[in-house]
Amino acid sequence: MPKSLFIDPNELGKKGAIAFADIPVNQYQKSVTEAKKEDGFKNKDLVRIYRDMTVLREFESMLNQIKTQGEYAGLKTSYPGPAHLSLGQESAAVGQAYLLDQDDIMFGSHRSHGEILAKSLSSIEKLSDKQLMDIMENFLEGRILRTLEKVFTPKSTKELAIYFLLYGTLTEIFARENGFHMGMGGSMHAFFLPFGVYPNNAIVGGSGPVSIGGALFKKCNNKKGLVVCNIGDGSLGCGPVWEAFNFSAMDQFSTLWPEGKQGGLPIVFNIFNNGYGMGGQTRGETMAYDFLARIGSGITPSQMHAERVWGLNPLAVIDAYKRKREILNQNGGPILLDVVTYRHSGHSTSDQNAYRAKEEIAAWQEIDPCLVFRKDLVDAGCAKDAEFDAIWEETRERMAKICQWASDEKISPYVDFANDNRVVERIMFTNEKKDAMEDAKSVTLIPKEESARVKQIAGKERSAFKDGKPVSKMKTYNMRDAIFEPILDKFYEDPTLITYGEDVRDWGGAFAVYRGLDEVLDHSRLFNSPISEAAIVGSAVGYGMAGGRSVVELMYCDFIGRAGDEIFNQMSKWQAMSAGILNMPMVLRVSVGSKYGAQHSQDWTALCAHIPGLKVCFPATPYEAKGMMQEALDGQDPVVFFESQRLYDMGEMFEPGGVPMEKYSLPFGFVNQVRHGEDITILTIGATLYKAAEAADILKEKYNLTADIINLCSLTPLDYTKIVASVKKTGRVVLASDASTRGSFLNDIARNITELCFTDLDAPPVVVGAKNWITPPFEFDEFFFPQASWILDAIHENVLPLPGHETTVSYTPVEVMRQAKEGV
Amino acid sequence: MATTVVMPRAGISVESCIIGQWKKQPGDKVSMGEVLFDYETDKAAFECESTAEGTLLECFFEDGDEVPCLVAVCAIGEPGEDVSGLRPGEADSGGAEPEAAPAADVAPVAETTTPATVTAGANIQGVSPRARKAAEELGVDPTQASPTGPRDRVIVRDVEAFAQSLKTGDGFGGRTFGEMVAPQATATAAPVDVEYVDEKFSKIRKTIAAGMMKSLSEMAQLTNHHSFDASAILAYRRACKAGGETMGTETITLNDMVLYAVSRTLLAHPDLNAHLLNGDTMRRFTGVHLGVAVDTPRGLMVPTIFNADKMTLAQISQTTKELAAMCQSGNISPDLLQGGTFTVSNLGVLGVEHFTPIINPPQVGILGVSGTTMRVKEGKDGTISTYQAMGLSLTYDHRAVDGAPASKFARDLCNNLAQFSLLLAR
Repeated sequence: MPKSLFIDPNELGKKGAIAFADIPVNQYQKSVTEAKKEDGFKNKDLVRIYRDMTVLREFESMLNQIKTQGEYAGLKTSYPGPAHLSLGQESAAVGQAYLLDQDDIMFGSHRSHGEILAKSLSSIEKLSDKQLMDIMENFLEGRILRTLEKVFTPKSTKELAIYFLLYGTLTEIFARENGFHMGMGGSMHAFFLPFGVYPNNAIVGGSGPVSIGGALFKKCNNKKGLVVCNIGDGSLGCGPVWEAFNFSAMDQFSTLWPEGKQGGLPIVFNIFNNGYGMGGQTRGETMAYDFLARIGSGITPSQMHAERVWGLNPLAVIDAYKRKREILNQNGGPILLDVVTYRHSGHSTSDQNAYRAKEEIAAWQEIDPCLVFRKDLVDAGCAKDAEFDAIWEETRERMAKICQWASDEKISPYVDFANDNRVVERIMFTNEKKDAMEDAKSVTLIPKEESARVKQIAGKERSAFKDGKPVSKMKTYNMRDAIFEPILDKFYEDPTLITYGEDVRDWGGAFAVYRGLDEVLDHSRLFNSPISEAAIVGSAVGYGMAGGRSVVELMYCDFIGRAGDEIFNQMSKWQAMSAGILNMPMVLRVSVGSKYGAQHSQDWTALCAHIPGLKVCFPATPYEAKGMMQEALDGQDPVVFFESQRLYDMGEMFEPGGVPMEKYSLPFGFVNQVRHGEDITILTIGATLYKAAEAADILKEKYNLTADIINLCSLTPLDYTKIVASVKKTGRVVLASDASTRGSFLNDIARNITELCFTDLDAPPVVVGAKNWITPPFEFDEFFFPQASWILDAIHENVLPLPGHETTVSYTPVEVMRQAKEGV
Repeated sequence: MATTVVMPRAGISVESCIIGQWKKQPGDKVSMGEVLFDYETDKAAFECESTAEGTLLECFFEDGDEVPCLVAVCAIGEPGEDVSGLRPGEADSGGAEPEAAPAADVAPVAETTTPATVTAGANIQGVSPRARKAAEELGVDPTQASPTGPRDRVIVRDVEAFAQSLKTGDGFGGRTFGEMVAPQATATAAPVDVEYVDEKFSKIRKTIAAGMMKSLSEMAQLTNHHSFDASAILAYRRACKAGGETMGTETITLNDMVLYAVSRTLLAHPDLNAHLLNGDTMRRFTGVHLGVAVDTPRGLMVPTIFNADKMTLAQISQTTKELAAMCQSGNISPDLLQGGTFTVSNLGVLGVEHFTPIINPPQVGILGVSGTTMRVKEGKDGTISTYQAMGLSLTYDHRAVDGAPASKFARDLCNNLAQFSLLLAR
């Protein structure tokens, strides 16, 4: 797309071949003695590596015993949640964490207890006592620390920190209030930000797109450290993971991004290759790569610096990270590591191992790193066998105490839902505004007033009418301008704000909302993404977790399906699953199309409004758009911002005085009453507002009936106050939008109105939606989308007969029954 | 520009009229005020004068067609003009008021839309919650309103219209009391302090009100007034009283005797000992179960004497008194307040000479018993003498019973009462 990049036919037509470099496989072959000599490992470092492995092993053994026998260390206890254990994978996790520090952050999978503990133990080792105490004092206002102080006296701060880590993790798994996030995440969503441990993720491959957002944050905001994306070999069957690979390696980082921000993202895709995706054997059954590391060569010319690492040897993994960090320091990311490991336990504790032979498990248990590495250390004279026995004893003692405290409801109570059933409601949204996510200076290319677009907007009429006459299209301040203005302002206010999506830069967005923005921003703040909806949304989620604000765009609403997990499971849930520790300052713009047929014309507000944790709005006038966008950008909650392609040209037709020049915001929950009447209430979502206005004109002219028209520009949250007042007044209500009628969000509103206004209703609320068909070609729009006449039909047939009205669409019970019965 | 002439509204309660005969034919020149056609309601015939000048272009209805009031019946304009948009039900059908409802045979609306021309209370398919609430506030029965909502639902405007009709509908010849007094009221501008107390209806009052209204609005009721020589029953009453101590008959009243006579007479007139169901089914009873109107402090109640035709006079008397006592004390079983096949209401003690009792649906008749008055009669020998005559008023549902059979029943009843001893002997 950029004109600076020339697609040269001569170049493309040349004869040649693509050369691949060898991909290293298990190249690390040093003995412990050699490692000590060549890489400077001290005995105590090596023993500590083993100590950490015992912690991981014993933690998972504990969960295994609790789940399978209801008992650990003589204590009867249990919990109903999941346990995807990584028994056998300890060396890989500890090796990975060994060199990582607090600035390095990692994201995980459903099987990430080990990684969380290893990274945290590594951080505890590297942080000073004061830093550790600050972290423990400040985390959840010191709640976990206070509990621990009551039950034991630690020998040292580091000892206390280890207990803090194990206790916070186990209580999280046990769904206790003392968990790292009040038990709201649980086993598959545990994390601890102060040690650089970002969320693990219950969706296989879910961390793929999310973690590139963390890396994007580091790159765009000049932050130290690298990002590790821990996913399993099973996730390589997931499209979003491949999207993430590509996104992290886009050419533009080198060709178009500004000085200092060049090169691929600082990320290591660490695939813990344990051979199975649940029971499906990846190599030989479900995948095609033979060697997992091979796939790096399909992504970048650098082959993602991919290599296979023998994860059963922690020193091999440490070696790999040491070398890969160097590459990342040279902006050489992304990295792909195929870390071979093996889980001794099943996928979960209900796994009967029907898919693998006992002999196979036995063969791997023979080379159990907890046995082999210990022997290697003893053989190399790092420590005597007895010392390792002592380490084991200490670990088991720790775990027994932790298990006892975490199981005891007096020490570790559950969140008191019985007496406080709004506990989750309080952590769903922050509802707090923050003008800028960081204090740094916002980098822009020119002063705002020099922007050609700003000057153009300044010359426009803020209203669709001037002196009672329509203003020409070109001179009208329209929806595009209304969406653009607050975004532009925010770019000058918040240094972390970035925006991306398909064709947002040179093209200015497919519908020209961002026209002129490329004059103001370099590529690190405004860039074209690949056609990777999952990566677009998922990366914005990770960017938000890391502390940055973004506005990302899916060109058409219909593409929501391509980012289903990222919108419905990631964007929406992390604030509450983190008990409010994470914020999600992201705005997802989606545009409801027209003219382009069945896969480009759908209003999917209902899908988004259905999902708890999302704020959803659909402004239909420039006044609403500017105010809602400002509100969305100022907040820290995830917003799905619907727009309509029918309305981009629309000037302000309702707001007296037009769209204000100055900054203002319209709160979530806001509904916009654009007409005032007495006889009927018409509620609208999206472009149907204008059909409703047309219908209201006919009602007035032909039937002497006046209508309240209320446009529901905020869908979640939604304040019913004005709606109820109107319906109580008129007793009649029709709801209209371009969404297909079945399952339309309007049905939810209609149901609530029925309940809230039951005795005031003169007729049941009628929903006027699009047909439950595919969208036919634009030529047949009037047969598919609600028209003004349909609104009259609905009123005539279900609410108030309109003398002489001839219906075009039937809203009779017979027709309702027929459509439902036929599923159309 | 062609215009339409609409079917005039020939009275406030008239919904539609039937065209008698067209006096002009398409192509005829008509001037303002010329008679276009004559038409009739169920009450009278009228002539429709043209409200436009020009050529009669098209008649939308034929002789004998029933046309809703205010619906266009013809178009008048210049020859050759297009009248397609003027036909009733077509795009911008001319000028009908919002409440004008299209007749079924011309309604072009979707197949299940029902025309709004309906009679009060008929075919109601539900009452909207808002209408119900309004009805409660206005103190009217929403099911009595004429439904104009979709699919015959009573909507709020129907309740409001109904409440308005109750307020203003009692004047002579359709004129309303309100209209009659309004000019005077406005003339005396100075407000007058009027003291009054508003009291909401009790539940039983509401029930009575609703029942009465339903009865009057749904039935074709009319009343025949009769009288008979009450000498026989008065004499019998004296005898009962006189022999009371030994025979236990001293409490037998004139009304008991009427009840007795009614219970026997009805057996020969099954059309009056009946219920009319759904407006089209007669349910005739073999036994006589007499409703007796009883005045109580809470209002009118009508307990039932079951199988009155099988009771002796003394039993009827006894049962009536027991039922009345239960009504007075308010502890009567609801089962005894239903099941009547015919009702007797007695206002005689209050000096009423004749009245028009209201039928207790689904019964088809009610007998009003008045007091006695002195009358004169001429003897066979030409002598004039006086006697006590008792008035009987028989209200019956003309849908179920015609005037002659009803009158025959009343005549037989009068005869039986006039010769009460003979009746007792049967």
